[in-house]
Amino acid sequence: MYKIQMFEGQQVGIIRVATNTYIPLVEGNTDYQAYLKWLAEGNTPLPAENT
Amino acid sequence: MPYIGATPTTQSFISGTDYFNGTGSATAFTLTRAVTSVNDIQAVVNNVVQVPNDAYTISGTTITFTSAPSAGTSNVYVRYLSTTTQAITPSQGTVGWSQLNADTQQDLGISFKNRIINGNMVIDQRNAGASITANDDTYALDRFKTAASQSSKLTAQQNAGSVTPPVGFSRYLGYTSSSAYSITSTDYFTIQQGIEGFNMADLNWGTANAKTVTLSFWVRSSLTGTFGGSLRNASADRSYPFTYTINTANTWEYETITIAGDTSGTWGATNGGGIYLGIGLGVGSTLSGTAGAWAGSNFRSATGATSVVGTNGATFYITGVQLEVGTQATTFDNRSYGTELALCERYYQDFTDRTANGYAGFFTGYVASGGYNISMYMTFPTAMRIAPAITISGWAGGIQPSPLSGTNGTALYYAAGSGGLFTFRSGAGVFNASAEL
Repeated sequence: MYKIQMFEGQQVGIIRVATNTYIPLVEGNTDYQAYLKWLAEGNTPLPAENT
Repeated sequence: MPYIGATPTTQSFISGTDYFNGTGSATAFTLTRAVTSVNDIQAVVNNVVQVPNDAYTISGTTITFTSAPSAGTSNVYVRYLSTTTQAITPSQGTVGWSQLNADTQQDLGISFKNRIINGNMVIDQRNAGASITANDDTYALDRFKTAASQSSKLTAQQNAGSVTPPVGFSRYLGYTSSSAYSITSTDYFTIQQGIEGFNMADLNWGTANAKTVTLSFWVRSSLTGTFGGSLRNASADRSYPFTYTINTANTWEYETITIAGDTSGTWGATNGGGIYLGIGLGVGSTLSGTAGAWAGSNFRSATGATSVVGTNGATFYITGVQLEVGTQATTFDNRSYGTELALCERYYQDFTDRTANGYAGFFTGYVASGGYNISMYMTFPTAMRIAPAITISGWAGGIQPSPLSGTNGTALYYAAGSGGLFTFRSGAGVFNASAEL
């Protein structure tokens, strides 16, 4: 499961909840690619807790 | 090696004469120099000059007369008329860099000869030598990833089994099969390292000028037979399956595979993936191809290769992995520990303090009341390939900062709910940054 990471009102990354990994929105990051694949499979991330 | 440098060229004329004793029956005589034409020599019998082709012919170092010269002492002689080719030995201090061929230049320590990082399996930031279950996308050692379509089929560890490494090495990467798993056509289990585009762009792959590379490594297995692996590009639409043979069980063997560079396909040239080396531990038929040829397919290994995961308890150890330009496997490129660690840190950095009761304190301060956002910037020891994913757990002091990473460092920020002392420091958990390929 993933969660949106916000900062000053903008999405700046994704959090992989199981490992508490902060993933930047960078195309070449393999963790981000794994998130995009997870998203393409029809999954939905949790909303950000705070901004 | 018969000579150093370029092939010797034709030298200046050096005179010479060969003398022979005629027997009255012998027609062929052996010259001291090879010549290519009857016009390169002058043959004389009993002081009479012979007509080329009519009276004699030449083949290499053999002169053959049409009629046998009469018996006599030194009554047949051959004078050399042409220039000659000599094998020369350069005198000391006369051989320069430009006289060396490409393979020799590589072996003399040109920077970054080995495109594989941590090929001698020394750096282990994640596990410090501990064993792991080698599931998909796990790293038993720095830069060497397990790619696995099924979980819990392998364990991996630096120096697993504690056997003596090959001479010249102190570490190896060891895999052990956890069961007797029959792979399906789409299964794959490989040891993989992605080579960054920046580190292979000079190979000119994907062009007519693609350079040949040679892969070499030491391997030891409880199994024998034909094993496989492959090189692939980042988009996995070009691959080169290869095979090698392990002849004797539980014995270190040295393997070399020379691969002509790929003149087709798209190959990375920047900070994305370039070449992906895979060493097969069991790959299904759909992902296996004919060894020794480039294919426009995603082949992770060669057809018919041995499956390590197919035998419970089977072991597969590897070290000294080197991929270099040229047709020769040269001596392993032993870089310093610090250099190798820095190379690894471009892809993964671990900040976890592993000492007993130790903390890695980064920043301490005090806020009078809640509602403040506190932040600090942490510079990475080595600039990373891309902005890394950062994993934080077990943060001490109840503070769980959120990072905003870049290639050079990360900002850690924390929204203080109440006033008081705060400390950004790692505790008993993990704190790492990953920008692996």
